[in-house]
Amino acid sequence: MNNLLAIVPIVIAFSGVLVWLLFPWRGSSGTAASSTHPNFNDALPAPKHFRYFSQIRQALSRTDDEYLIENAPSAVAKQALRDRRAVARSYLEGLHEDFSNLARLGRIIATLSPEVSHKQETERLILTLKFQMLYALVWLRLSTGKIPLQNMEHLTGLVGRLAARMDEAMAEIVALSSAQNPDRLGV
Amino acid sequence: MNSLELILTCSIFLFLIMLCVLVFARKVQTILPLFAAYSCVMLFDLAGVWLIYHRFGFASLTSYYAYWVALLINAVVRSFAIAELCRYGLRAYHGIWALVWRVLTTLSILLLARTCLDAWGQPNRVAIYGTTIDRDFALASIVILAVLLLFRNYYGIAVEPLQRAIAVGICFICVVDFVGNTVLRNIFTGYLLSFFLSNQQAIWSALTPQFERVRESWNAIHLVSFMVSMGIWCFALRKPLPAPAEAPVLLPAGVYRELSPAINLRLASFNNRMVELLKP
Repeated sequence: MNNLLAIVPIVIAFSGVLVWLLFPWRGSSGTAASSTHPNFNDALPAPKHFRYFSQIRQALSRTDDEYLIENAPSAVAKQALRDRRAVARSYLEGLHEDFSNLARLGRIIATLSPEVSHKQETERLILTLKFQMLYALVWLRLSTGKIPLQNMEHLTGLVGRLAARMDEAMAEIVALSSAQNPDRLGV
Repeated sequence: MNSLELILTCSIFLFLIMLCVLVFARKVQTILPLFAAYSCVMLFDLAGVWLIYHRFGFASLTSYYAYWVALLINAVVRSFAIAELCRYGLRAYHGIWALVWRVLTTLSILLLARTCLDAWGQPNRVAIYGTTIDRDFALASIVILAVLLLFRNYYGIAVEPLQRAIAVGICFICVVDFVGNTVLRNIFTGYLLSFFLSNQQAIWSALTPQFERVRESWNAIHLVSFMVSMGIWCFALRKPLPAPAEAPVLLPAGVYRELSPAINLRLASFNNRMVELLKP
């Protein structure tokens, strides 16, 4: 009977997840699932957050921090630092969105490909899961102030390059697909 | 058979007739032939079992075996319908389908092996074998459906309304079957075990009322869950089906071969940078 008490709630919870998966009432992550076939336009809003890095860098610069601590009243300086951390977190979320779009591009290419490599797909799945964990950790440490805001610059540079590559990839795919069949691709 | 079971069985019979009529009226057999076959098998199973009850009597051994055989036939045909559900809608995406069917087949073999192992050690009685196999088939169906939906969700391939309704209905039946059969099996192999052992015939008559009570309760739950699922399917089939979605235009294979490793490499370097960010 003990086994039963453990198994029954698990199966019911599992079924709940199943029903949740069946209905496309989720937010951004369900965007691609909203139509029968994946569609580049629906699935991939243009990467945008990395483009604001120079403004963010200015807003989060160490000199600004030092200036605030030296010149502003303590309460104001603390409030300003808190606000700056919040901005950094929002920015990290934006970078996450850009990263997710790149990963989604990978999945859409796989979906529309006549052959896929299970090794590549497994690797991408693991990378995505790893990223989710790392993102949560960075977000947490950023919130507690244990990551210097300047370290964000490295991350942003990388996302910027990724986004540029994503634009190129999109252009290549559209060109290739249009050449193959100009009437039917959903782009 | 008590009056509640009688009412439920009659209702199910009507529901099944309605389902079969709707299935053929909407030409479901042209897109999902195995689901259409499943609907017909359910109807014939019920009609067959009913005739056997009528001919041999409800409490006869023949009726008892007929019930369990019908239940297992249902479970097997349902598995085929699930396999069809997996194939439908994904086969157009050749690359993904090649990946998905391998994963699902491996998973099915493992789950079937588990079913056999689980049923192996049971006392040699139809009811205990039946509940064990039916329970494990239900669990396997839930797992396969969940993995299929995870794949579809991950790759952004939406489920069409009819497929969704079929999956919900099957899932509901399987969940109720799994939970019910787990309870039933625990009772059969627990305090009612003596009822299935030949050397305990002396106490069979004392256990019969308890066995009947358990059987009646489970039958009522099982029949209601069947009716709910059939309601879901009939509701989904109330309107003519939309035209099947056009097959997607696939990209040249070279696009994947070139871009996928590049994307993975970038994702990996991004993760490395995140790890660096976490270093003290």
